[in-house]
Amino acid sequence: MELSINGQRYQVDLPEDELLLWVIRDGLGMTGTKYGCGIGICGSCTVMVDGQARRSCVTPASAVTDAEITTIEGLATYDDAGQEVLHPVQTAFIEQQVPQCSWCMSGQMMTAAAFLQENAEPTPEEIEAAMSANYCRCGCYARIRLAVADAANQINEAGTEGESES
Amino acid sequence: MSDENTTTQRRWKLSRRQFLIGLGATLTVGIASAPILTREARLAVNQYFQTGGLPTPDGPASPFVWFEITPDNHTTIYVPKVEMGQGIHTTLAQIAADELELDWSTITVEQANLSQGFDEQMIFTFGSTSTMSLFKPMRQIGATMRVMLRDAAAEQLNASAEQIVLENSQVYLRENPENRLSYGEVIAAYQGDWVIPEDEPVLKSRDKWNMIGRTMNRVDFQEKITGRAVYGYDARMDGMAYGAVARPPRYGASLVRAEAGTASDMPGVIAVVIEDGFAGIVAQTRQQARNALSNLVLEWDGGSTMTQDELEAYMRVPEDATGAILVQREGGGAQPDGRVIQADYWTPMAAHAHLEPQAALVSVEGERVIAYISTQHPGIPRGDIASLLDIPPENIDIRVTYLGAGFGRKLGQDVGVEAARLSRSAGVPVHVGWSREEDLQYGFHRPPSHNMLTAILDSNDRILALEHEFAGGDVFFGNGLLPNFVGNILGNDPMTAFGANIYYNFDHRRVFAYRRPLDIPTGYWRSLGSFHNLFALETFLDEVAHEIEVDPLTLRMDYLPEGDLGERFRVALETVTDASNWGNAPTGSAQGLAVCYDRGTVGALVIQVSGDLENLSIDQAWCAVDPGLVVNPDGAAAQIQGQIVMGLSSAMYEELVLGDGLVSTQNFHMYPLLTM
Repeated sequence: MELSINGQRYQVDLPEDELLLWVIRDGLGMTGTKYGCGIGICGSCTVMVDGQARRSCVTPASAVTDAEITTIEGLATYDDAGQEVLHPVQTAFIEQQVPQCSWCMSGQMMTAAAFLQENAEPTPEEIEAAMSANYCRCGCYARIRLAVADAANQINEAGTEGESES
Repeated sequence: MSDENTTTQRRWKLSRRQFLIGLGATLTVGIASAPILTREARLAVNQYFQTGGLPTPDGPASPFVWFEITPDNHTTIYVPKVEMGQGIHTTLAQIAADELELDWSTITVEQANLSQGFDEQMIFTFGSTSTMSLFKPMRQIGATMRVMLRDAAAEQLNASAEQIVLENSQVYLRENPENRLSYGEVIAAYQGDWVIPEDEPVLKSRDKWNMIGRTMNRVDFQEKITGRAVYGYDARMDGMAYGAVARPPRYGASLVRAEAGTASDMPGVIAVVIEDGFAGIVAQTRQQARNALSNLVLEWDGGSTMTQDELEAYMRVPEDATGAILVQREGGGAQPDGRVIQADYWTPMAAHAHLEPQAALVSVEGERVIAYISTQHPGIPRGDIASLLDIPPENIDIRVTYLGAGFGRKLGQDVGVEAARLSRSAGVPVHVGWSREEDLQYGFHRPPSHNMLTAILDSNDRILALEHEFAGGDVFFGNGLLPNFVGNILGNDPMTAFGANIYYNFDHRRVFAYRRPLDIPTGYWRSLGSFHNLFALETFLDEVAHEIEVDPLTLRMDYLPEGDLGERFRVALETVTDASNWGNAPTGSAQGLAVCYDRGTVGALVIQVSGDLENLSIDQAWCAVDPGLVVNPDGAAAQIQGQIVMGLSSAMYEELVLGDGLVSTQNFHMYPLLTM
């Protein structure tokens, strides 16, 4: 089985029915994507599949061999000097000091990043609707709300600057 | 977390009193012993501690906190406290950086490990005592190193100590601030052995603090935000395999017959492990290991037969006070006569539901063991693994990882021993990561409880007496930290009693505990007994207020505790009711109020809700907290926000239901948590 993750092709030698979460974590060693419940409820395992947020714990790896998968390890980019440039969602999560234990946060950030690609100017209600299916046992919800709004602003400002330059 | 640091075997030289110097080309100073539990906490967990029941560490052979500054001017702070979301690594770094005048950007906080010469009794994280217990030792190390660096710099610069200024990990002469040496440069140029100064260094006075009391960003977020942080579930080693363990159908059931059956023939299976009432599988993938479990032939016998109905009937305050243990008594003589108001409250069994389930990676290599465990107390699995393998504990290198939260559950270390058993048999490193189902069913649970409150009022609606009785399962007892007989001597579990005391100034106050040990595993859950006791006490006060038609705020103000505590209650209540515009909730909304005292901190909370009981919306919460000195205000705020969410989640939704001797609640579809 071949998978495309964070822009790289991986040859995976695992049983055909293996779930995407365990292929990513145990098979390929990218442990930033977390296990929380295995039944698609808590959202800790959320990755992007062709830009859409998806629960990797209930997604068979064989179902996404033709897709581009993004995990938390691929959310940041690298500039020309090879320096890591955090995604606006990551920057906002640090600026708002969102996480506590942070086990759920990869899933929270992947959910937020996918959502903001679809809706760059969300209302508070839309943010709540988009984020309310992810559990955070440490109870960081108030800060997640602020950080997603903050990330949206960063994305929009960057977009506006881009337009004025062109 | 890096392997270099976790495997370093340091050599230490004991110096003045409890300080130790690490030998080598760096400046490394540690402190050997300090009171781990505050006086309040000691009292709270009963006098047993003070009479020598717990083992005390032998002599200062190794430090339990130390700082190391290397010639490249980087400072590493080794701390014995586990980072599980509470921000303790940041808090401790702030304390160190302040006293030692460190540049915040040059600090790394490392989780210290037992293999570094740690005393296992010193390295645990529970009971909300980390900051209180380490505040002074951290500052003492910082101040000691500050004086050593100052004196070394004075010698190198041919100046007097008074002329030296330390700032941002640099030194300079007061009259020449342009010309600076880094701490690292001073250390690199130092000749001979470092010596701890004879005089006790003077700690910085409060007005000179530049980091304690300031909001500093968390030191662990870069790793966590990028997915690089390593938790117990994430630990990896070359050649590792995955383990799964057969679970009993009822708590306490014994495995009387176990055979491999067809499990060995299942895909991916490396080893079938059957020994001493234990059966497990090692396979190439987690799923293969779990799948093969059902091919084992297992027969279980005995164990709990308790049902939910029996549990609820058992966990009740008895009407005739049989077995009552007096916990608090104020005001002597007989209970006064008067009008009686009574209510009782039931708190169900609950799960920690920390999102990272129990996890360990253990490699048994002959007489030596390397173990990565998501644990709040590495000494416990080290002891257990040592017993299992019959090897000295010193041979076991427990490497504590980040924790995907703990809430008390990660004091139970079953998973480390399971992985050790499997690794010993399979001959490869084995990772055991519990499933959510295993975690909800086979963890230890917050015990259920029943609280009975009785108020006696005179004809003017003055409260003459308040009595609080509670029946609860064990929290502290039965977890292996204390011998069993202690529970029988004390009669009640002091941690179940947290939050039970009545501080309000009623003339007669009595609190009785009824211990209800269970054959269901129960134990520490965030805030211990405070969760059910405070809920019952404060809710009951509202019932009384309602009954006598008094505002709940007025009622509390009328019976404030005497002295300083009463003043702190008053300020907290005024602050939170001012902020929430108490008494003026919007139409369709209602507000509720509570205040509490726990381990030195006073907190008051107002919650505003709307809708009806079937469709209740929790709209807002206001909280006023008086915790005394706060090292990191935003970190404390985050903890308070999180506590409110977890408390509401548990109060609104959470209940573990007992089937036939086993919790039947299997996953989040049956145990939903509060969401945004």
